[in-house]
Amino acid sequence: MTLWDLTQGTSAKVSRFKSSIESGYRTRLSELGFHPGEQIACVMSPGMGAPKLYRVNNTVYSLDDSIASLIEVA
Amino acid sequence: MSSNPDSKIALVGSPNSGKSLLFNRLTGLNQKVANFPGITVDIASGQSVDASADSSSVQYLDFPGVYSLQAISGEEKIAIQGFINALEENLLDAVVCVVDSTRLEKGLIFALQVLETCHKYNVPVLIAANMIDVLDQHSMQFKDQGLSEALSVKVLPISAKTGTGLNELRNALADASVPPAKFQTDIIASDESINHLHAQQLAQKYGPKGELLINTQTRLDSFFLHSWLGGLSFFIIMYLLFQSIFTWAAPVMDAVEAMIQWLASVVVPVIPAGVASDFTSDALFGGIGAFLVFVPQIFVLTLVIGILEDSGYLARAAVICHKPLRFFGLTGKSFIPMLSGVACAIPGIYAARTVDSTRKRWLTYLAIPLMPCSARLPVYSLIISAFIPAQKAMGGLLGWQGLAMFAIYLFGILCALLVTALVSRSSEELRTDLPFVLEMPPYRLPSWRPLITHGLHRSQQFVTKAGKVIFAVTVIIWILGYFPNYGASLGDSWLGTMGQWIEPVFAPFGLDWRYGVAILSSFLAREVFVGTLGTMFGIDGAGENFTSLAQQIQESGLPLGAGAALLVFFAIALQCVSTLAVLQRETGSWRLPAQLFISYSIFAYAAALGMFHLVEFLV
Ligand SMILES: Nc1nc2c(ncn2[C@@H]2O[C@H](COP(=O)(O)OP(=O)(O)O)[C@@H](O)[C@H]2O)c(=O)[nH]1
Repeated sequence: MTLWDLTQGTSAKVSRFKSSIESGYRTRLSELGFHPGEQIACVMSPGMGAPKLYRVNNTVYSLDDSIASLIEVA
Repeated sequence: MSSNPDSKIALVGSPNSGKSLLFNRLTGLNQKVANFPGITVDIASGQSVDASADSSSVQYLDFPGVYSLQAISGEEKIAIQGFINALEENLLDAVVCVVDSTRLEKGLIFALQVLETCHKYNVPVLIAANMIDVLDQHSMQFKDQGLSEALSVKVLPISAKTGTGLNELRNALADASVPPAKFQTDIIASDESINHLHAQQLAQKYGPKGELLINTQTRLDSFFLHSWLGGLSFFIIMYLLFQSIFTWAAPVMDAVEAMIQWLASVVVPVIPAGVASDFTSDALFGGIGAFLVFVPQIFVLTLVIGILEDSGYLARAAVICHKPLRFFGLTGKSFIPMLSGVACAIPGIYAARTVDSTRKRWLTYLAIPLMPCSARLPVYSLIISAFIPAQKAMGGLLGWQGLAMFAIYLFGILCALLVTALVSRSSEELRTDLPFVLEMPPYRLPSWRPLITHGLHRSQQFVTKAGKVIFAVTVIIWILGYFPNYGASLGDSWLGTMGQWIEPVFAPFGLDWRYGVAILSSFLAREVFVGTLGTMFGIDGAGENFTSLAQQIQESGLPLGAGAALLVFFAIALQCVSTLAVLQRETGSWRLPAQLFISYSIFAYAAALGMFHLVEFLV
């Protein structure tokens, strides 16, 4: 399952990044808090393909499918 | 360091750490504070406003907010390079690293990078742990002493909002002289995640525990990002934005107009009849006055966009727009530069640095000059009030003029999207997407003071910058239009003769030579159009009572189709020397500005011609 598959109100731990992710983005996502072992909650899923909102620590980020589907969660 | 006559102190921090507000606090210079990640793109500087004796010689430099010293976008590269250069050239006496103490882990990842870099260049660092007022509100604790010892740098809890801890910060800066030691740790990890593990560990040990504010934020988000309520509220907010330009500004505009008329009626009779008196009434009151009337609108527009930014709504708007903008070849991140372009193309072009993909940024550049900027506003306003009655429908809620304004704004935006949609489909390379990652700032009540100051600043800039050009053009137009026959007949003046040459260009869409001259002069800056036209009508109507320019246009019998064609022409043409210059600076070549100038001029002319025939056919 990937981060993009999380439905609104649910949360999961990041397990790993897919290998197709660009390394610059992987580093940046880690810096923002998306790294293996971290608990991520999907706080808002506006639907219609709009980016979803994810909470990490006390910060909320919006990620679109192209990046959220490269982060695997369990 | 206090002995150093002009010490320079850099402020660095992640977007939304409150760095701009701290900078304003420290310098008193009301630089714009925006609640949108990464809105500061130029390095601002300001002198300290500290009351104590010799600190007026402290200069603060506000570096653009970045998440990391490892850049992934063009904007970040510029910002980081600026910081590194300043360190390399030994320009900085100390660095203040601003972190948001409510999100300590994120702040520390960045702070650790800054510590390491400053260690390398031997520059003292302080950590300012901001937003301490929020922690206090929630009775949460933050162990600044422990963190300070662990990092062996000073950590000062502050609040840029309430001013807590700012004196301590200034004092600490005055003593700061020791560069940071290398951060020692026993964690062994791979290079990439080492900073992250440290930050996580430190935040767990010394940071506040618990969740903050997220619940209200989620409630508001579930409204503003709701699948259809969100879209609906987006349209209502945008619609109100355009209505406000007319309805809120109207009374002030009327007042300014009345004042100018009153001033003219007092001043002009005092000057003995002749050239001087004609110049005062035609060029000064007719030309400059016609343009001053629009300043309140610029103010309202800047204020409303500022409120949207500061409240945190703009980031949500970017989320809502991401999918639709993707269809037009852009990204949600293009929304902020494009909306800034509604105030003025220039900040819009600067803001486009936040679009991290080079190709999407290039496409955003194509869109920005078509966004209905505030320099078009005087022209739109003039033509709309000449043709559309000021009546209100639905109990004053809906004005026809506001509606017309909305329509022409929408037209500009649609043209922008049309261009990017077509161009992005022209090549495979332009179509590819880059991931969208955007921080959602908490919703906040706007801080009014900086917003109003910013609005006034923008209006003042509009008056002084555009004013100079307008004054020069107005004087030239007046001289050409007044001589050799002393204003007896505009048509026989030098200007009239020249106008006859241009007339064939604009005649196909129903405009006489006076409009032709005004359009040509507006290629310097759009708002010059109003001043030029005001001057010519002033000469033409010498001796009559002062009536508003809109009324004079109405009485001149300009056909409706020609009015519509004018609107369309101004919506598209790239008549702005500054925009071209800034595009050249940002892209590093004249290629894009030259291409845009030529193609948008042709596009504008063709569309205006089409509009004229369409209206003539329908009416
Ligand atoms: N409660 C509180 N809000 C703050 C504080 N400092 C900044 N803010 C708010 O945080 C938002 C982002 O601040 P800004 O200065 O634009 O952050 P920047 O992106 O780092 O420049 C603004 O809405 C500020 O009003 C603070 O100490 N306390």
